[in-house]
Amino acid sequence: MNAEASSPAPVLDCEDLVVVYGDLVAVDHVTFHARAGEIFGLLGPNGAGKTSVIRGLTTIVPVAGGTVAVDGHGLTDPVALRSSTGVLPESNGYPGAGTGRSYLRFYGQLYGLAVDEADARAGRLLAQLGLADDHRRIATFSRGMRQRLGLCRALINEPPVLFLDEPTLGLDPAGKEDIMRHLAHLASERRTCIVLCTHLLDEVERVCDRVAIMDHGRIVADGTVDEVVRASGVPGHGRLRVAPDDVQPAAIALEGSVAAGSLSFDNSRPGDIEIELAGDGGARGVILRQLLDAGVEPRSFDLQGARLSDAFLALTASGAGAGR
Amino acid sequence: MTATSTRPVARWRVIARHELADLWFSSKGLAVLFGFTLVLSVLSYLASADAGINLLDARESVGIVVQTAIGLGTLTALVVSADAISGERERGTLEALLLAPVARRHIVIGKLLAATTMWVASLIVALPFVAIMADGPGVAADAVIVLVVAGSLVAAALTALGLAVSSISLSNRTSLAASVAVLILLAAPSQLPAIKATSALGSVLIKANPVSAGLQLAKNVLVDQRAWADQWGLLVSPIVAATLLTVVAVALSHRLELGGAR
Repeated sequence: MNAEASSPAPVLDCEDLVVVYGDLVAVDHVTFHARAGEIFGLLGPNGAGKTSVIRGLTTIVPVAGGTVAVDGHGLTDPVALRSSTGVLPESNGYPGAGTGRSYLRFYGQLYGLAVDEADARAGRLLAQLGLADDHRRIATFSRGMRQRLGLCRALINEPPVLFLDEPTLGLDPAGKEDIMRHLAHLASERRTCIVLCTHLLDEVERVCDRVAIMDHGRIVADGTVDEVVRASGVPGHGRLRVAPDDVQPAAIALEGSVAAGSLSFDNSRPGDIEIELAGDGGARGVILRQLLDAGVEPRSFDLQGARLSDAFLALTASGAGAGR
Repeated sequence: MTATSTRPVARWRVIARHELADLWFSSKGLAVLFGFTLVLSVLSYLASADAGINLLDARESVGIVVQTAIGLGTLTALVVSADAISGERERGTLEALLLAPVARRHIVIGKLLAATTMWVASLIVALPFVAIMADGPGVAADAVIVLVVAGSLVAAALTALGLAVSSISLSNRTSLAASVAVLILLAAPSQLPAIKATSALGSVLIKANPVSAGLQLAKNVLVDQRAWADQWGLLVSPIVAATLLTVVAVALSHRLELGGAR
């Protein structure tokens, strides 16, 4: 996570963005900003409008309303705007013919690079992302390799703003780790602003400076991960372990406690009690005191704050069981 | 290292070069050209054989070969241009292209130029057939002029039409079917005996239609031995169609969209 992601001027400004497909409002007055060196997580269930936000911001679909500025370029100058962005779409196709290097060289030229420069940059990017075999045809690439190639293409113009829609799709755990490390490096060293759409919320918690959660085309929460989790109002959890004979006294002691919400018992592990915390950080002390007062000696008591995934489920319609 | 390799190249040229490589270094262009050559060879052989046993006049044989070369050569370019954008859309490669900082018209121009080379290659293949079959240098010269002038205009018009259809079609199959159907419809009047070029209405119908006008020109000059001076009117609709459809294809480029984005 980048601690210096607080330079004053946002490199990406999205104000009241509206994207409409026929009768469907896919993006409904979405506003967010991101700064150079920041990794911004754009989250949401399938169909929430994340991809449409990216497509609207990168001039791929017409925008029905709102203003956009990417590195100072607005929607009125789409060619300049696109030259300041790199995009890895979710459903990116690749030509069967040609090698990864020729593919990148072509796109490098489209971004205004001379052939030699495009070729050199292509070679560098392929090596950085573990695709150094220049002569291998794209048709023989695995899904993970194609995903890496797509990322190389998104980086060919060294963009100040990078949009990534599920960049680790199809990658093995090591590949995912490698890509996330590369993204963190881009943000911290090159000051690239990265907008990351992914369903891997653990990764988001780890690398994103700020996040926004979308649902039904709107942003329902945004801020740092902690801020979003707090705003969601999702309680934390505690796992209490006592002697199996103390389970009943412990349950009686915690009944009606201001610090403990609901209790659940794990039958497969006698003595373990899952506690949904009702209060904040002071809950642990209150619970321990109540247990000791009742003569119950806890063997262990681990607290877990609410996770981003809990907040995500609470804030989006899918968490409420709405059909999608 | 060449002098040009260190300078950025115009975007439409980058697209055109990429498309050319894709067309000619893959099997696509060569396979289509092979098919064209095969059909033309068979037809030329049959026409020569018929001429040999006096079933066909030698000029008539050349006329048939030239008409076929124009029709099939146009078809080859049409097939390539009709696939140019809808094919990318279907293969999922269009989004990356649209994300590049390239004006949409440059994408269309680059693809149009590349597709046109399919006609140029067909023309190059057809010329020796025509030259060999022509009975004397005068006929050969006429045949070459008809092929180069009328054929190129008809091919340019239909190539632009294919690209225009391709840019608005969501499906590659739709684009190809619609484009080929238009070519067949346009070629039909010159092949139907019911439509006589000598009648007033028939003449207008044939002249207004760029494909039938081009084919009629080949017949008039090569088979009926009419003077060139009387035939220029048949080039009006191919010239207008080539210009207009190219403008339409480029103008439609600003509406070039991903399609099915929802």
